[in-house]
Amino acid sequence: MREATIIANVKIAVVDEDVIVRDFIAGTLMYSVNREILTFDNGFDAWISFEESGFPDMIIADVNLQKIDGLALVPKVKEASPRTVVVLFSDLPGNEIKAKEQGSDAFLAKPFGVNELFNLVQTFVVEQDPAGDSSTPD
Amino acid sequence: MLRLGSEPENMREMELDDIFISRLQLLIIMTKSYLSKYPLGNYREHSILENAEFVKVDAVGLAEDIAFFGWDENSQDGLKFEPVFYQRVKLLAIMAEAFAKGHSLEEHKQEALEKNLNKICETITFSKTISDMQFLKVA
Repeated sequence: MREATIIANVKIAVVDEDVIVRDFIAGTLMYSVNREILTFDNGFDAWISFEESGFPDMIIADVNLQKIDGLALVPKVKEASPRTVVVLFSDLPGNEIKAKEQGSDAFLAKPFGVNELFNLVQTFVVEQDPAGDSSTPD
Repeated sequence: MLRLGSEPENMREMELDDIFISRLQLLIIMTKSYLSKYPLGNYREHSILENAEFVKVDAVGLAEDIAFFGWDENSQDGLKFEPVFYQRVKLLAIMAEAFAKGHSLEEHKQEALEKNLNKICETITFSKTISDMQFLKVA
């Protein structure tokens, strides 16, 4: 079996104004990839940070955000950094089609759990290494 | 576009009970990974400590609710596990904090940890095993 390798120095951001959900997502991802996870409570602060410090490899954002909402964030990010994976999540079924139209790479329907977040890591952050070498950063 | 999570008819806001169960599942995965000797790392240790603290505080609170209001196994109002379940969860969280802080667990403590874990897993179920998550084997 091929061994899994994580994108070197992977950078992931979580944007949600609900601190309970945001910390759960960030904690799960931090454990998954053994890296610091950037967190923001609104779309504007996230966008400013991305512009100033560089765009992450993956952004996981609530649709419902203050200042710049998740749906508006997707095309802005995709235009500035096409390689960045953007995942939107919501508790409203109607937002799924909107997320797709805006160019979101994935949609997380609330409530979701650990398995769904691991699935995102497996899909977008893990690379299958044909040489079978594991990354050993840090 | 990849779609994950609840079916449209089941979509709703996440409640504290959802977060508690999800964090408990994460703590179980963290512990199984430790027992399987998967590598840790600074950020993983940090996330274990943070998660264990959350689960411990929540388990104590839920146990106190049961002690105060009584335990009704037929209740549909929120999480209602047997009181001993929360004691087991609290113990799991304390042991997770210990190994995340770098305290090595002797063999008999690891056996106790595994036994406690198995008892908890009799109550909540998983759709995946940790061997499905190859990325946990790298740090």
